Amino acid sequence: MSSSATETDTSDLVCQLDNVQGIVDALSTVRWKRHQDAVVELSEHGIVLIVEETGCLQAKVYLQKELFIRYEYTAQGRPRFGLSLGLFVDCLNTFSVPGHSSSIEIQYPGPDMQLLIKSADSLDDCIYAEIRTRIPETISWDYNFEPAGSTPLSFTVKSAVLKEAIDDLEWPGSSIQIILKPVPPSVTFRGEGHGDLQIDLMYYANTDLLIAFHCDHEVSYRYKYKFLRATTSNVPSNVIKDNRGSKLTIGRGGMLKVQHLVSVARPSTSHQHIDSAGYQQPSRIAYIEFFVKPEEDEDTVND
Amino acid sequence: MKFKAVVTEDGVSLLDRRFLPALEKMGKICHLFLTRDHAFFLHNLITTADGIQSIAQFRKQALFDDYRISSQNEDRIAFAFDISLLLRAVRSSVSIISGEFGIANRLQVKLVKKLPPNSTQPMPFLTFETKGYKSAVIQDVPISKPLSRAELLQLQAALDAAQDLPPTLVQVPDSNRLQNFVDRMKHVGDLLNVSISKYGDLHLQISTTLITLGAEFRKLLVVGDKAQAPSEDRDLSAQTRSGRAILMGDAQSVQVSVRHFSKSLQCHLAKPDCAFYGIAPQGACLTVIFQFFIPGTRQTDKSISLHCRLPVLDPGSS
Repeated sequence: MSSSATETDTSDLVCQLDNVQGIVDALSTVRWKRHQDAVVELSEHGIVLIVEETGCLQAKVYLQKELFIRYEYTAQGRPRFGLSLGLFVDCLNTFSVPGHSSSIEIQYPGPDMQLLIKSADSLDDCIYAEIRTRIPETISWDYNFEPAGSTPLSFTVKSAVLKEAIDDLEWPGSSIQIILKPVPPSVTFRGEGHGDLQIDLMYYANTDLLIAFHCDHEVSYRYKYKFLRATTSNVPSNVIKDNRGSKLTIGRGGMLKVQHLVSVARPSTSHQHIDSAGYQQPSRIAYIEFFVKPEEDEDTVND
Repeated sequence: MKFKAVVTEDGVSLLDRRFLPALEKMGKICHLFLTRDHAFFLHNLITTADGIQSIAQFRKQALFDDYRISSQNEDRIAFAFDISLLLRAVRSSVSIISGEFGIANRLQVKLVKKLPPNSTQPMPFLTFETKGYKSAVIQDVPISKPLSRAELLQLQAALDAAQDLPPTLVQVPDSNRLQNFVDRMKHVGDLLNVSISKYGDLHLQISTTLITLGAEFRKLLVVGDKAQAPSEDRDLSAQTRSGRAILMGDAQSVQVSVRHFSKSLQCHLAKPDCAFYGIAPQGACLTVIFQFFIPGTRQTDKSISLHCRLPVLDPGSS
């Protein structure tokens, strides 16, 4: 209600969203600690939020413009700003009313370079927020993911299975080896520490577990447990319940990419739309990517 | 000093299902203050100044039958107790009463002094005695030593002082939604600015160096001093609007703890029919008043009342 025409004119972005909870879910997925700085990049295609743990772990949330019911982008170049992810998530959460699909408007920048959010549901009640933004810290771009060879090394596993496997590996802890083998097609997670634990996912044994598998030669890399855990531990339980697939790809140098899909569809009320299409609109999905660097000391097979 | 009464069926259900669960959220320790005509459950009236005060008042007929009280302090008795213990005693009495086809069962409550096991010093208890068809169960809830005459006068004075009404009260719109909102707001900051205008606006805001988060509810029912909202207000932001109303003397603003505000909303466990927020004169405190109707009507039930006073952290502007 507060924005006058002039404010809107000078904004780089004004967008409106009808499912706050979906965005909260997507952003919560990459919130692996309480106080975490994020960089937000705006473009004509949508909003990308990037978080990073010094040099080892990076995560990106892609909110394409199709997720918004209105997306007015007028900036030149790609504006970027930093903010506290925790505050952003907690703040968005206050706009979400259980059982309702709450609608909000997001605007950037405000008169003092803030990120402005306000509810767009009712005329007599309104919730509003102004989040202070920062000049972003430089993002290290050495997370450029390149395929390891001509055929991708990847597998897709149910999100719940992946989370459970990684949770189980907490016991041996410290360092986790991931091995992909073409014969027999399988993925192995092996932890060695206080004890040994090996989890094998066989592609042909159970197609419910591994949905897809691509591998033409054996590879093996080690990853720090705490970073591997960060890729699944914060996925909200309702997203896990959706149980879409999570795709893991190993790129050049052993860089691990973990991709999750989070639904940002309107909740239940619009059932008929989903039914008529037979499935939820694919455009209403937020993409989340984690990049985990392998541990340096390699004594295993490499490409 | 004597106190003895029978808790009525309505009294049991009022305490067990509504008031004790709500009051338990206000704090563990509570004072029960009994007079010839009333029973009060009081939180933080004479103890801490920085806690939320809650005052639940019942006419004796609302809870008791056969009510007998006598003391040298004009038949007034007050003591402190752990509210969760009282709730447990009432709950288990309910299960005995309902297990044995009610009616003839009576829940008697009285003040006793007993020698607890392994002790040589007699201690005061509030005893609940449930007489069933085949059994009788006695439960002793430990209580503090009854307040001295001086303490009692202090409590009475605090109670009298806590009865002042804010000049303007606005009705809380949808308390579940408000509760939900405030609970989520707690993650963002600790201090909540509350401003209430004579136009019927309730404006809540948390402001820190990194974030400002607020909610504005407009066109609420106003009880007491009201005024017409200026028409040019419509297109302003919530912050500007409440700022202007304060400048014009049509609104007041105070700062309270978000935790206290959230607690005050927990009083909805007592199932009031409506709730009003108001700021006491000179911004002394934020008051929330819960109203109860006579079942099946829209008339205020004068035998029950509940209100809370939230300490103000900063006198704010008035």
